Amino acid sequence: MTAVSPLTSPLHDRHLSAGAKLADFSGWSMPIEYAGGGVLAEHTAVRTGVGLFDVSHLGTGTVRGPGAAAFVDACLTNDLSRIGPGQAQYTLCCVPDGEEHAGGVVDDLIAYLHGDDDVLLVPNAANAGEVLGRLADAAPAGVTVQDRHTEVAVLAVQGPRSLQVLELLGLPGEIGYMSFVTGTGGAGAEVTVCRTGYTGEHGYELLVAADRAGELWDALLEAGQDVGIRPCGLGARDTLRTEMGYPLHGHELSREITPVQARAGWAVGWGKAAFWGSEALRAEKQAGPARQLRGVRATGRGIPRPGMAVLDGAGRAVGEVTSGTFSPTLKTGIGLALLDTAAGVADGAELAVDVRGRPQAVEVVRPPFVPSHVR
Amino acid sequence: MATPDDRRYTDQHEWAMVQGTDGTSTVVRIGITDHAQDALGDIVFVQLPEVGAEVAPGTAIGEVESTKSVSDFYAPVTGVVAAVNDALADTPETINADPYGAGWLADIAVPGEGGDPIGQLLDADAYQALVDGS
Repeated sequence: MTAVSPLTSPLHDRHLSAGAKLADFSGWSMPIEYAGGGVLAEHTAVRTGVGLFDVSHLGTGTVRGPGAAAFVDACLTNDLSRIGPGQAQYTLCCVPDGEEHAGGVVDDLIAYLHGDDDVLLVPNAANAGEVLGRLADAAPAGVTVQDRHTEVAVLAVQGPRSLQVLELLGLPGEIGYMSFVTGTGGAGAEVTVCRTGYTGEHGYELLVAADRAGELWDALLEAGQDVGIRPCGLGARDTLRTEMGYPLHGHELSREITPVQARAGWAVGWGKAAFWGSEALRAEKQAGPARQLRGVRATGRGIPRPGMAVLDGAGRAVGEVTSGTFSPTLKTGIGLALLDTAAGVADGAELAVDVRGRPQAVEVVRPPFVPSHVR
Repeated sequence: MATPDDRRYTDQHEWAMVQGTDGTSTVVRIGITDHAQDALGDIVFVQLPEVGAEVAPGTAIGEVESTKSVSDFYAPVTGVVAAVNDALADTPETINADPYGAGWLADIAVPGEGGDPIGQLLDADAYQALVDGS
């Protein structure tokens, strides 16, 4: 048997010396939490100060050539014509009509529009290869799709003090939500600064060449020292995104879970002529989805976890938890769950989650669980 | 953190320490090790057994849940739950801060005053070797 060694970020050595606990994320060995930190402290740093994440496991790819943006727009769900150059958009790559699970989600991703002939895509680690492969197969002559996963590092600076940290480094931070600009970091590296994130706080994602990522990481930690910056792992990233009700592919979105079911229809350009899966999704939207993503908040003890059944007052299963965790902000269990439409569950209804055989009371709520501060 | 040599350990990463006798039984205090709390991360919820419950090795008697995962804990000895650490309901993070002291989980009364109910468990060196080897 051959052991496949996991891929590592260009910041791997820094994580090791910072005492990070590492775990496998889709074939990448990435930090879960740091020594002297922990999920709760790191989560709190992002909600109240600023945190620095290495998310270099995220994929990066470019689509370039005459008509590149129009080509992307004809494949992915969101309407790329709603944004202009220098803006980014959350979008979905769905399974094309005619294939099994048509309308299901291959991946969710961010599209950065540089211009009509140049789009940068940031998909998830696990699905980057498939998303870019599907686009490459479908690309018209003259449009080139390139996988740049290992060439580009992605750092996230997130929290109410993130702007201060960027300004201390001389990076441009005064840009609108979902906009991006290119600047020069403290160490002289070219950095694409994006007002994006996965935490619900004011924040930035920084794209930098992999071989300059170490310098940028060090410069950010040094610049942020006085405002209490803290390196944060993917454990806190998950509690932060769950508090916002943000979907995670493989949990709230998948080949089996369409954007209509996941209430991600806002990321679908319904007015567009066509996109991958458009027929299946229009049909499902018109008929109404058989299940929909809802939020649940524990009213007592117990923490919902993925795969747990959601029960009605009579103990009948009406759905399943897709993500769940302890909310460090609310100090209680929260979760996202797909509930059967036929069960007719209203917001505010009291249900239970089967926590290892013990039904624990939850209230159905509309995420986010805590207020968003992204704008 | 060093592994204290005043108590015994299990391969389930729990510790057991004789507290004394109450005349008819030997009281053994149990908790999870520093290695276990570190592996779990920030602990946010503890499910303790009922006082009076009869317990024996091999069956889960409670749960320790962190932001990331949940882990059962087991009775390392056969007996009756004599006391539980109720303070953990409001401050489960005490297990992270002081796993061998204030973060104890339960006291189990083992019938009989004679013998050493935890003598068969791992000593500190054996447990440390287990952790180092894992």
